[in-house]
Amino acid sequence: MIELKDAQKHFRSGNLKSAVLRGVNLNVKQGEYVAIMGKSGFGKSTMLNLLGTLDVLDSGEYKLTGKSVHKMSRGKRVRLRNEEIGFVFQHFQLIPNLSVYQNVLLPLTYGRKRLGKKKARVLALLDEMGLSDKRNQKPDRLSGGEKQRVAIARALVNEPGLILADEPTGSLDEETTESILGLFDRVHENGATIVVITHDQEVAERADRILHLQNGVLV
Amino acid sequence: MKLLTTFKLACFGLWSNRYRVLSAMMGVVIGMFAVIVLAAIAIGVKDTLMKQMGSLGAEQILVLPGRILDSADGQKDLLSGLTSVPSTLTYEDAQAVEKVSNVKTVTPQLETVNFVEYEKNKVQSAVVGTTSQYSRIQHATISQGRFFTKEEQGAKAKVIVLGNNIHDSLLGKNQQLEDQAGGSSESAKPKTWWKRVLDKLLGENVSAAEVSLIGKNVIINEESYEVIGVLAPNATLGSSTDNNVIMPIETALATTDMKNLTRMIVEASSLDAVDEVDGAVFGALAENHSEIDFSVVKQDQMLGALGKVTSILQVMLVGITATALLISGTGIMNVMVMSVRERTREIGIRKALGATTFEVMMQFFFETLLLCIIGGAVGIGLGYVFIEIWNSNIEIFALVLPFWAVKLALYTSVAIGSLVGIYPALKAASMNPSKALRFE
Ligand SMILES: Nc1ncnc2c1ncn2[C@@H]1O[C@H](COP(=O)(O)OP(=O)(O)OP(=O)(O)O)[C@@H](O)[C@H]1O
Ligand SMILES: [Mg+2]
Repeated sequence: MIELKDAQKHFRSGNLKSAVLRGVNLNVKQGEYVAIMGKSGFGKSTMLNLLGTLDVLDSGEYKLTGKSVHKMSRGKRVRLRNEEIGFVFQHFQLIPNLSVYQNVLLPLTYGRKRLGKKKARVLALLDEMGLSDKRNQKPDRLSGGEKQRVAIARALVNEPGLILADEPTGSLDEETTESILGLFDRVHENGATIVVITHDQEVAERADRILHLQNGVLV
Repeated sequence: MKLLTTFKLACFGLWSNRYRVLSAMMGVVIGMFAVIVLAAIAIGVKDTLMKQMGSLGAEQILVLPGRILDSADGQKDLLSGLTSVPSTLTYEDAQAVEKVSNVKTVTPQLETVNFVEYEKNKVQSAVVGTTSQYSRIQHATISQGRFFTKEEQGAKAKVIVLGNNIHDSLLGKNQQLEDQAGGSSESAKPKTWWKRVLDKLLGENVSAAEVSLIGKNVIINEESYEVIGVLAPNATLGSSTDNNVIMPIETALATTDMKNLTRMIVEASSLDAVDEVDGAVFGALAENHSEIDFSVVKQDQMLGALGKVTSILQVMLVGITATALLISGTGIMNVMVMSVRERTREIGIRKALGATTFEVMMQFFFETLLLCIIGGAVGIGLGYVFIEIWNSNIEIFALVLPFWAVKLALYTSVAIGSLVGIYPALKAASMNPSKALRFE
């Protein structure tokens, strides 16, 4: 599913150049559940953005489902990301002006995949997440756990093969964390590939494999 | 392309930002309102002037007292070359002109200001002495009674036709005029503005009692005259007949101290004869006058002068439109750029979830465009309402809203929207999604 070879990424602020990823190698098989851990500022989100085709490598190679992402046009990347990847961003990233329903609908709005009745699909998913009665609310009226469930529903709505989740349990209590992790387990059982970033050992242990990002490389 | 989707998103984007959007829209609303109203004023003034000066038909020739100076290009300069000297034109001049070949009619006019009295009401008015041709030449229609005849002219009959305002005031219906004239009737109330709107809408006088002065006698300068007719309202700038009272010129010469004509209108028998008649009239008048202290003006000379006025109005209109455009355009652009900045995260999210650069661009482009079109439409609507209210309340001159001005305003708002929408749209579209998501 994921083949990342010698991935490098640096950021420039003024004339200061700081290397964040200095040759990351990662292979994730179809249907695998991988956790990535690392200290704050070590480049976990940066790496996830690269895996999610939101950003491009400075050097190295990235293949997703056998296709070379680093050689793709921007248009093709957008299409690939819409159809193959479900994002659960750090800090939810829900659009405040849109209702819960509209937020979940977003990937379908831009997608070209035919998934039958879009509205029915979103409503069924919200029902599954226990959010039916909140579907017309704006995100700022929801609790942290509810927001995260909306974000997960949005990540799943397009039936992507790959789920990328950045600190999905970051600010949640144990019980809510457990329900979120339960959701991930179910998605995983249905055959999705999952890459989850966390600093919580217990969360990481639910995955098949744990990797650590340190000094710009994965170990 | 998912244009329809992006259009829907734009509608929704505007709706969910409606409070801020409203303030941005004000610029366009006011701009387009100004364009519409000013166009209506410009056209209204032009039409009124046209009616006044241009009411002179193509086969008509105007004789004015005083000599119109020639401008640098040898044309008669009607705007600034009009000298003001006391009139030396007389009724005899008019009769002399009538004998010129190919002259169909001559309509001389005597004019003075005097009080007209009826019972307790006393109103100041322009007293006009003229011939039975007057109502046709001046496009003054009779609303009650009739105009005087040639026979009454010859008999120096003491008959009089009242302008619409004078008629109302003498009946005590128009408080304001009365107050100015020092009238004393307190029984009649002035019409409120909404009653006048109603009058306009229903095309009839809802509020006025059905009374008329036809057959009654009014007093001017201690002479008594019988009212035989009332003119329909005729609101034009300056030369309205509403405040006139009209009597046969023979009667006026006999019963008042008016002697010299303020003007006369000569009608040629055909269009082809106008140039010839123009010269002949001049010759006939010159014979009676020791110096050239009068002017003979044809319609084309009038229209030439009018052209100057309208071109000034047009330049004004273009200037104001451009200013309105600039102000509302920059206002909208600022708001949209701000909006794009504030919604950086939203843009990042949309892109991350599969929105293409084009889709994001079109969403914001449509938002700006819609903003301008809606603002423009509201401004046009308000302008229309303003013009309607003006026209049913203010009678100095009528505002005319030409369809082209509406189209111009609408096209202008589309043009501003398209122009001003490009920059914020490109700004939104060029955002890097990973950076946009980090935006606080
Ligand atoms: N667009 C960018 N421009 C400049 N610097 C960046 C950019 N994105 C990330 N960085 C820098 O790269 C480093 C890694 O950032 P990143 O967000 O990947 O860390 P992280 O491991 O996700 O941290 P956390 O656990 O706090 O989320 C940080 O020092 C950050 O300042
Ligand atoms: Mg992070």
